[in-house]
Order: sequence, then C-alpha cells, then structure tokens
Amino acid sequence: MNKPKLAVWSRLLWMFLKVNILSPSGPASIGLLYKEAVSKGLMTETQFVEAVGFSNVLPGSEALKLAMFVGFAAGGLPGVLTALLGAILPPTVMMLIVATILQRFQHSDWIGGFVAGMSPAVAALIAVVAWELFRATSSKKIDRRTILIAALSAAAFWFELPSPLVLLGAGLLGVLLYGRRSY
Amino acid sequence: MDNLLNLFLIFLKVNLLSTSGPASVGLLYHEMVGKYVTEGQFVQAVGFSSVLPGSDALQLAMYLGYAVGGVPGGLIALLASILPPTVIILGVTVILHRLRREAWLSSFIEGLTPAISVLMLFTAWKIFEKGGSDGWEAWAIGLVSMAGMLSKRVPERILIVIAGVIGILFLS
Repeated sequence: MNKPKLAVWSRLLWMFLKVNILSPSGPASIGLLYKEAVSKGLMTETQFVEAVGFSNVLPGSEALKLAMFVGFAAGGLPGVLTALLGAILPPTVMMLIVATILQRFQHSDWIGGFVAGMSPAVAALIAVVAWELFRATSSKKIDRRTILIAALSAAAFWFELPSPLVLLGAGLLGVLLYGRRSY
Repeated sequence: MDNLLNLFLIFLKVNLLSTSGPASVGLLYHEMVGKYVTEGQFVQAVGFSSVLPGSDALQLAMYLGYAVGGVPGGLIALLASILPPTVIILGVTVILHRLRREAWLSSFIEGLTPAISVLMLFTAWKIFEKGGSDGWEAWAIGLVSMAGMLSKRVPERILIVIAGVIGILFLS
C-alpha cells in the first residue's frame, strides 16, 4: 500500500461505518463488506473467503471478527482497531438513544401491547435463524451425527441442564464424532 | 457494582460459547431472563436489535446491559462482547497458519452448531409462550411472520415492527 497511512485508515473507518449503518444484521453485512473490500482492492478474494471461514469458527460475534480480519489485511494492527471502531460506533450510538427513549415509556400502556405483538414475531425470527443455522452446519449435509447431537442436546435442555455445559458437551461430542479429519 | 461484574462475566461467557450474533440469543435468555431482566425486556431487546441497523449481537448486549445497569451497564456489556473476538483475532492473525490445520476446532464447532440451534428453538418457544398473549392472535402473528421471513421477500425488521404495531392496536 503506497498511499499515506492516514488516508488508508480514514477510508477504512468510513467503509466500516457505512457497512454497519446500511446493514440490518451481522450476516447481512458480509455481502456489503465483500463489495467494498474486494472490489476496491483492500484484500483479495481468497483472503476474504478465508476471513469468512475463520469468523464462522472462532467464538464471538462473527460480523465483528470479519471486520477485524478485513482491517488487518488492509492496514495491519491499526487497521484492526479502525475496523473495530467503525463496526461498534453505529450500533452503540443508536442503541443507547433507543434504550434511553424506551426507558421513558416503560410504564405506558401501549408498550405492553407492543411487546405482546412483537413476541410471536421475535419467536418466529429466532426459530427461522435456528433452522438456517442447523441447515448450514459447516457446508456439509445434515447427517446422522448432526441429528444425534441435536437430539441429545434437546433432551439435555428438556431436563434443564445448564445451557453452557450442554453446549460445551455438544462441542466435545463433535470432536469425538467428527474426529480430526482434515478439510 | 456486583451487578456490573456479573454482567461482564455473563457476556464474556456467552461470547466465548457462541460463534455468531444470532446464536447468542438462546444462551443469553437462559442466563438473564428472570434473574436480571424480565421476559418483556428481553423481547424488546431482541426486537429492537433486529430492527435497528448494525450488528444485532452488540445491540442486544447493550440493550440488556442498559436495562440492568443504565449507561454503564450498556458499556460493560459492549466491552465484554467485543473482548473475546478481539483478543482471539489479534492472536489468530499471528498463529493463523498453524490454527488452520487444527481439525479438532472445526469438529468442535460442528458439534456445537446443532446444539445451539436446538437451544434457540427452546428459547423461541419460551418467548412465544410467555409473550403476554397466547390466543389465536399470537399464533396468527407468529405464523404469518415466519412465512414472511422464510420467503425472504419482506425484510425481517419490517415484519417485527408491523407485529409490534398490531400488538398496540389489538392486544393492549
């Protein structure tokens, strides 16, 4: 990168601000980010695919990790911090404003109706995302092992075992069932 | 002070155990509803974080944090949510090439994913059940919005806002 560093950083910051204001959710930002980062030559196609892969595997919010990978490819460590800043600023500002306003209305009558109407839609949203997540289990088809893990964890949640433990157990079961296969 | 520390630990734990924003909903529900926030506050948090632009997961964290401890609570939740991925990314970029050959990590995630999906289904059902209305209206809203979301023709946030407005008109 021959340009002065400051120009690169401000371009990065602007790009991440834009992507995060325009996209409604983490996964939705991948498409936008791809257009911005690859077509403008901040990183190669292969780098981007690799970044998406790693973001899916490592713990934490995937959109955030993807942003940091792109930042790193474009501007090293300062690039990571710039990406982080650009990615958390828009949601933070918006959420604090909305939360403050809503807090005022917490005891109004209409908020009860609003929540009652929103609940089924929110439940539907969570169910739909759960289905998409299940279907997309790492690029492979759903096989018997996936169903076994799903059934076992359903039983565990039914008996109200602590959910972090169930998730850890499912992960360990994955290591046993899928083994150290190369990919 | 104790509350803020607990908040920090919860979000740290949830972000270490989930690989994406939406997946954290199930875990957060179990960790927080009844103890720190009410069912209604949680539904508001999920609803608004889907409606507003920007990362859902961060908004969800901040809204819940705010409900528990005001602005400091929101900032603590934000910090605990961005810390694990940031530290990991900074570490990974250094050992990137070694980690790629660690097949066990991808197997771990492969086992984790179905469990997270199941947890989310349980959460969806609980939210629906305790949503304040379980008559045919709620079923209608839920099924119609699910059909809309699956068809991908209508943006999810529009559906959620419409559902809320229907609630104000008919369910208050």
